[in-house]
Amino acid sequence: MIFSRFPRASNRHTQILLLLALSLSAMIGTGCRRGVPTIAVIPRTCGTWLWEAEHTGVERQAAAYGFNVYWNAPMREDDVQGQISILSHSLKSGVQGVIVAPVEALPLRTSVYRAVQDGTPVIVVGTDLGLAPGKKLAYVLNDERTGGQMAARRIGAVLHGHGSVAVLGISNQLTGSAQRARSLEATLAAEFPNIHVIFRSLALPTVSQEQQVAEKLLVEGTHVDAIVSLTEASTRGAFYALIEFDRTRSTPLVGFDQNILAPVRTGEIDSVVILNTYQMGRSAMRLMADQISGNLREQYVIVQPQLVTRETIDSSAVRETLDLNWFM
Amino acid sequence: MIRKWARKPILWPAVAATLLLATAIAAHFVYLEWKHREPYFQDDFDRAADSQTRKGGWQAFGGTWQVVHGVMQNIADDRGAKLMNGDTHWHDYMVEADVQLLGETGDAGFVIRSTDEEVGVDSYHGYFAGLRDLDDTLILGRADYGWHEFQAIPVHPGVYKRTWYHLKVIAYECTIAASATTEKGETTIAAVHDPQCIRAGRFGLQSYSTGAVWRRVNLRAATREDLEAMIGNNTPPEPNLPPTIPPITDLSAFQRNIEPIRRELRDHQADLHALPIANLRLLPSNLPSRVTVHGVVTLVSPVLFVQDSTGGVAIPQAEAGKSVQIGDAVEVRGDAELHDFSSVLRSADVRLLWSHTPVPPVSVTAAQASTGAFDAQFIETEGRLVSEQRIGGSSEVLKLDEGNQSFVAIAEFPSMAETFNELKVGSRLRLRGICVTDRAYARNEMPFALLMRSVEDAQMIEPPPWWNTTHVIELILGLLTLSIGIQLTYTSIKRSRLRAVMEERERLAMEMHDTLAQSFAGLGFQLEALSGQVEPDSPMRMQLESTVDMVRSGHAEARRNIAAMRPGNMEQMGLAKALEQAAKTIVQDGPIAIEMSVRGEVKQIPLRIGDTLFRIGQEAIANAVRHAHPRTIQLRLVYGRPSVKLTVRDDGDGFSPQGETAGFGIRGMKRRADGIAAILRIRSSPGHGTSVAVRAMLPWPLLSSWRWQIMRMGRWKRWLHGKA
Repeated sequence: MIFSRFPRASNRHTQILLLLALSLSAMIGTGCRRGVPTIAVIPRTCGTWLWEAEHTGVERQAAAYGFNVYWNAPMREDDVQGQISILSHSLKSGVQGVIVAPVEALPLRTSVYRAVQDGTPVIVVGTDLGLAPGKKLAYVLNDERTGGQMAARRIGAVLHGHGSVAVLGISNQLTGSAQRARSLEATLAAEFPNIHVIFRSLALPTVSQEQQVAEKLLVEGTHVDAIVSLTEASTRGAFYALIEFDRTRSTPLVGFDQNILAPVRTGEIDSVVILNTYQMGRSAMRLMADQISGNLREQYVIVQPQLVTRETIDSSAVRETLDLNWFM
Repeated sequence: MIRKWARKPILWPAVAATLLLATAIAAHFVYLEWKHREPYFQDDFDRAADSQTRKGGWQAFGGTWQVVHGVMQNIADDRGAKLMNGDTHWHDYMVEADVQLLGETGDAGFVIRSTDEEVGVDSYHGYFAGLRDLDDTLILGRADYGWHEFQAIPVHPGVYKRTWYHLKVIAYECTIAASATTEKGETTIAAVHDPQCIRAGRFGLQSYSTGAVWRRVNLRAATREDLEAMIGNNTPPEPNLPPTIPPITDLSAFQRNIEPIRRELRDHQADLHALPIANLRLLPSNLPSRVTVHGVVTLVSPVLFVQDSTGGVAIPQAEAGKSVQIGDAVEVRGDAELHDFSSVLRSADVRLLWSHTPVPPVSVTAAQASTGAFDAQFIETEGRLVSEQRIGGSSEVLKLDEGNQSFVAIAEFPSMAETFNELKVGSRLRLRGICVTDRAYARNEMPFALLMRSVEDAQMIEPPPWWNTTHVIELILGLLTLSIGIQLTYTSIKRSRLRAVMEERERLAMEMHDTLAQSFAGLGFQLEALSGQVEPDSPMRMQLESTVDMVRSGHAEARRNIAAMRPGNMEQMGLAKALEQAAKTIVQDGPIAIEMSVRGEVKQIPLRIGDTLFRIGQEAIANAVRHAHPRTIQLRLVYGRPSVKLTVRDDGDGFSPQGETAGFGIRGMKRRADGIAAILRIRSSPGHGTSVAVRAMLPWPLLSSWRWQIMRMGRWKRWLHGKA
């Protein structure tokens, strides 16, 4: 009896210790890895109206699915390598999916392709990379054609169907921007044949360069009745040039992307076509949830842009698009 | 007792658990001690005064950080460049400094209670308070990999670039407060009470979308009195969010958004007849040409460089060069001077047009850069670090190789960040800087040099290859140490086993002594007594006497065996004494004479070797006594320098040593000798006695050991050839 007690006591203690060790391991294990999927969301940059609204969209939709969001982006919107580094870092840290808005289409193609090949679900926002969508890859795109049409129709309305237009910031690095320009000119030609595009310039990376282009246009170029700026930088650059030569009231400016909206209220900028990045973020997270659950049905989601004018700037639709309360 | 205790299986887990608990408690106290270290930091960035080129602890996340003339500056206008320092366990503290913004539409200030920082915008968990000239406000908010702005308090009369403000930020419990004081003494305060606050973290400098300068950074523990001195006794409000676009009815807020734009524009009207920089090469070389170019500043020191989309130009001794920063768009008017691969503008006037318009570098190979096609341009290239040199306290020079090209990379201002500490010779670096072919830098030894903006422009992308001379030597030393360790462990284990065997023998010998030998003695005594009661010449008496002889013989054999199993205290008395005593025990005061001799310097013999020699000697003596009927047995022990040799020689009958007829005893001796790599030699012939010699190698010195191995091989070869 005495002899038989020791082994049993020993076994019991060993079992307790083993259980404790296993519990500790399990606690450590669960502490290191959260139980819910983490989705990396990597816009072109952040801290701007354009992309913080996407942050709001993805956070709200992620909360509905119980996902964690890792939000990070390059510190400049032209930093392709920085974006590739963040994407690579995210994949290495074991995120369950990636939502990325490429700074440029071609340099990101390889990284996204490899991620998809490795089985990571990827949602590309804002530009078509040229990679075919599939079970692990889907796109959420801005309806650039509609954006171009909106700008063209606004110009048509402002100029009453007659006049000359300069188009600044034509970009070929993002497929969406090229579509934007084509749609603008096609709509003008089809619906407003008496409005002519008499000046075009390619997109430049900085506001100052875009301002110089606009300055030259206003000083040396042929008279234009209105300006359409297809990028954030060209919108701001053109606006500065118009202020400089005191032509904000006489030369209507229709811009793109929500970089500078306060002057729309004062009428110094006629209107801005904004991306509904809030809705794009929500849609991207919804597609991600579908991918993770294996129920992906849509490969493309096209989100409509909005035209912000002095009349619509306080509308509920615009307010929702510019909602930056990502943490609520 | 100890062994008994140790054998109880229940106690080991208890002991382990107790030790674990004690360790955990000790670790907890160490952690608490560490955690509650007093927050304190001070830096006046006066590296010249204390002869330091850099000070530890700073960690950069983006930006281009420099220490110049008693200030820390970030000359890049990345969004959210951070320079961190301090301890993640600091909780209640106050940090203050003078802060100056270098450009428009950005902000700069302090990050506090920060953890988990990464390169990226708002990529940390912590609070930020700073001055923003986009809308002339003091802002206070929280970053959780995303920005949550709590407050934006207007600063009167405004937030102007290149103007000093004294910024003070306090984190006390869950209240975060900040104050900004202008040079005229006007103070603006922002404060919030965050119910779900971040309670601890380190501090840092951060600028967003503009360059910025900090001086006289001081940090110390904060008290409630410090907080009340800043915000009074009122509890500050909880966080809320200002509207994204201020309504036009809020004229002051709206004006704050518009006014900085207009203010910025006043300086930005440019000469529309500026030339593209590449076109400077087309100017007549024999006529002085006063020209204007527009471009972005890519380097400020040692020479101002400006670049547009067509090329770059150097502007030595620029008048306004000190007031512009990297990333500024400028208008430069100067006298063009043509050089081999690019142009230089002398006597130039530099006017700032725009801030924060940095140009990205062009990625080229060293071979491409060596053609001169990228002279004066901002490039990114790669190379393998050959050497690093610090010149004075003001510049770092890296020499690099890439393919068939060599070049140098020069950083004029050492940084506070510790990037260079991570660079190792042989590592592969990605470098950014201005490519120059000027002989002043390339020294006519290399095709080009790279003028980096700061040491942060050198980034290690691949560590040096592991196989280098140092690592190989370390590996060899490590393996050597490991093998010695294994050998020592092996020896120790064998020694322990041998001790255990000897102890067991001792125990068996005692058992035999107490049982078998005493039974023999008792049996003999009884038989002798019985024999005394029987008639002297009766057959029974003869049988009994014969039986008594057999018992006596058996008793003697048992005693010999007991003696053989008990080597006595050989370690204490030494091998020679032990052997002599064993021999005397075996011959039992009989007619056989034992002669013992020792030659050479007596040494400490390892237990294993000593025991083996003793056993072989004992076996040889026993064999002689049993089978050879000798008169004398000579024992000779010779201590040589590398070895010890034992010889047991008798003058008995001898035998004919045929290999196949070797008995159990001889085979045992050979096996024992092989066990310690000793040489056993047995010489005998009928009528001439027998000599058993065993020679064992002592473990040291090592060189002699090799000699011994060679000697053994020689003997082995001789044996193969039948000469042994």
